[in-house]
Amino acid sequence: MANYAIDVPNQSPSAPASRAEALRRFRFGDQLFRRTTKASALLVLLIMVGIIISLIVGAWPALHTFGLGFIFSASWNPVTEQFGALASIYGTIITSAFAMLLAVPVGLGIAIFLTEICPYWLRRPVGIAIELLAGIPSIIYGIWGLFVFVPFVQTTVQPAIIALFAPIPLLNQLFAGPAYGIGLMTAAFILAIMVLPFITAISRDVFLTVPTVLKEAAFGIGCTRWEVVRSVVIPYTRVGLIGGIMLGLGRALGETMAVTFVIGNAARISPSLLAPGTTISATIANEFSEAFGATYLSSLIALGLILFVITFIVLAMSRLLLMRIESTRAK
Amino acid sequence: MTANLTENMAKKISIENLDFFYGETKALKAIDLPLYSNQVTAFIGPSGCGKSTLLRVLNRMYDLYPKQRAEGKVLLDGENILDAKVDINLLRSRVGMVFQKPTPFPMSIYENIAFGIRLYEKLSKSELDMRVEDALKGAALWGEVKDKLGTSGLSLSGGQQQRLCIARTVAIQPEVILLDEPASALDPISTAKIEELIDELKQKYTIAIVTHNMQQAARVSQYTAFMYLGQLIEYDATPRIFTSPQQKQTQDYITGRFG
Amino acid sequence: MIAKTTRRRTVSSLVMGLCIAATLFGLGWLFLILGTLLIKGVQGLSFAVFTQMTPAPGNQGGLLNAIIGSLTMTLFGVLIGTPVGMMAGIYMAEYGRGSRLVSTVRFVNDILLSAPSIIIGLFVYQLYVAEVHHFSGVAGIIALAIMVVPVVVRTTEDMLLLVPSAMTEAASAMGLPRSVVITRIGLRAAKAGLITGVLLAIARVSGETAPLLFTALNNQFWSWNLNGPVASLPIVIFQFALSPYKDWQQLAWTGALLITTTVLVLSITARILGAQRTGK
Repeated sequence: MANYAIDVPNQSPSAPASRAEALRRFRFGDQLFRRTTKASALLVLLIMVGIIISLIVGAWPALHTFGLGFIFSASWNPVTEQFGALASIYGTIITSAFAMLLAVPVGLGIAIFLTEICPYWLRRPVGIAIELLAGIPSIIYGIWGLFVFVPFVQTTVQPAIIALFAPIPLLNQLFAGPAYGIGLMTAAFILAIMVLPFITAISRDVFLTVPTVLKEAAFGIGCTRWEVVRSVVIPYTRVGLIGGIMLGLGRALGETMAVTFVIGNAARISPSLLAPGTTISATIANEFSEAFGATYLSSLIALGLILFVITFIVLAMSRLLLMRIESTRAK
Repeated sequence: MTANLTENMAKKISIENLDFFYGETKALKAIDLPLYSNQVTAFIGPSGCGKSTLLRVLNRMYDLYPKQRAEGKVLLDGENILDAKVDINLLRSRVGMVFQKPTPFPMSIYENIAFGIRLYEKLSKSELDMRVEDALKGAALWGEVKDKLGTSGLSLSGGQQQRLCIARTVAIQPEVILLDEPASALDPISTAKIEELIDELKQKYTIAIVTHNMQQAARVSQYTAFMYLGQLIEYDATPRIFTSPQQKQTQDYITGRFG
Repeated sequence: MIAKTTRRRTVSSLVMGLCIAATLFGLGWLFLILGTLLIKGVQGLSFAVFTQMTPAPGNQGGLLNAIIGSLTMTLFGVLIGTPVGMMAGIYMAEYGRGSRLVSTVRFVNDILLSAPSIIIGLFVYQLYVAEVHHFSGVAGIIALAIMVVPVVVRTTEDMLLLVPSAMTEAASAMGLPRSVVITRIGLRAAKAGLITGVLLAIARVSGETAPLLFTALNNQFWSWNLNGPVASLPIVIFQFALSPYKDWQQLAWTGALLITTTVLVLSITARILGAQRTGK
């Protein structure tokens, strides 16, 4: 055994032939594999195209019936078959805007904590905990919001706010009672918590791209921690931050289940932020499976089309900004 | 003297008027060179001289990258391998390559070897075992790994990993082996083992080695090609290159005056 | 001068204090939500939850049909979506690397990744439900598969790009056909990352509600028939939580606990796997 000789001929004449044979057998599979991967990549595009086409086709009857008025009318009446998207669009924009108003500073704050203040051993656990917030299914936020948060808001927070602003003109309109608990503000708050982890995660990631030398240089000339963040870290990462915020906004605009639970589902525009309202996604979620009549169904799909257009624009801008960051980093 | 010697030997590979391009940049200019059967040919020269590029033409490695192309002829047993209709995979199975950095596949030692064999041949378990053993013996690694064939190839030391890569190449019975600075990432003892191995391998294979280490070239090769700025400056029997080079640039390089 | 420095220091400390407060705020919600979920959910946890069907109001019952429905639809959704996503990711990282098609696919995929899930529901409704004229588990599966694809595409491409090119070069240098290099070497080297991606995809779809609302709908009863409406945990939670019946609401909480536990366990496992990979 020890003296086992390597008796393979130097160039066995049959070897290349049988090898060529083996490789020929592979060629078909190789081509097939390549084609399948390409087809799958194209399928991703096809899904997007399919979504766009199916929404347009589905929305067509409603858009044809109501014209541009669909977007600018606030009446949503299944009985008279008069449908307008304005109340839903209004609710969507208001809730998302207020959600971002809260989530952006808090998200940035957490990101600053994680990258600048937090001791190293604590960074990972805190980071994961915040990211877990993103993992909780949206229906959980909904049920929690409805049964825990709404009663608390109704009995404690809203009466105080209403009382506080009651004497001030204009603001007393904006924060007029009664305290329903559910409503635009509550939905905005829940949305804020939901998009918080997205904003935090992206801000943290882009903060980490700031070269240490830059920060050290700033510290070297006597900048305080906040000054370093404000004049070095944030300007350096501006594009990425905006991209991250847009991504969060995209999420907030399309969020469905959590909002459906707590917004009150009233298709009207009221001056008070505390009043029940609705969003595009909440209207669809609530009414779709019970919608009767072609116009009704088509109007709901038209709502979906509007939502898709809005989120597509926001997400596309977010992607383009984040891509810019990635390409500069690659250089 | 060399002329007499070479007349009698078979040219395994014959490079004729070879140009190579990275996009617009010409990286190799009109290279003419033979590789003799069962001889070790070393390629030396300063970084960026094109020696690795030349090696990567010989098994058409450059084909993996869309913007690289070669013009001219490279004849392997008289057949032009730059021809579009050449089966590249078959070519690569005949012209094996070992890289600078050891690259064991993420699988067991046994599988690292058996993987390639199984692709080309249908063998019984015992035949396969035999071939794996042969390959590992051929790469002087058998004694060190025979009791742990099931462990990951990544668990080996750098030098062992490199010999595993050589074994993997040998296992599919190539005719030519290309070595791209195979010892530059290794310690002196592992390097010595690899050099010893190269000497044995030439009994069965035609070998081309790129190295930045001139002593290594002098130790392992029978022929040496000195390249500079994409051109072949001088090619001759190794002793002549190192003792009486004909070109001034070669002389400057081997005496350490530049490069 | 000194006064100014002191003021700057105070401002800095104040802002940093606010950052800490923001973190506590964020973590606070996590614990608050998980805490209530645990307390309310455990109250209803019993053997019956796993052995009995969803009940009529006022009756005893469990969540068995919803659990089975969720498991089945998630399973098939992932089984269909994963290979498609992987194949697309392979094309992007290997065959088409750097091409215009790939950057377009990546851009579109990233948008699909964040697009509202309810839109996917509408799409599948239009594409399938409206055509066959009934809600069905199959429609739910299609919707979930479409949700899975972008997650898997993203991770597959990212992970394959992380595989050292020396490794793929070495494999190609042995004359291995490209498909063998990719499947046997590339995917193998990227295995941990790919599993992470699939786990994240499962976590993502198993809690999804919106795309199931008008695809799989719901079913009060046991059904292996994927061609008819199929119950799922998220939809049952949605329906039961919004009902006026106390025992339905309790079941909703218990279901919520089950889903959240599953999803969090999946995402934590995925993270640990991911960390091991980068730790190497």
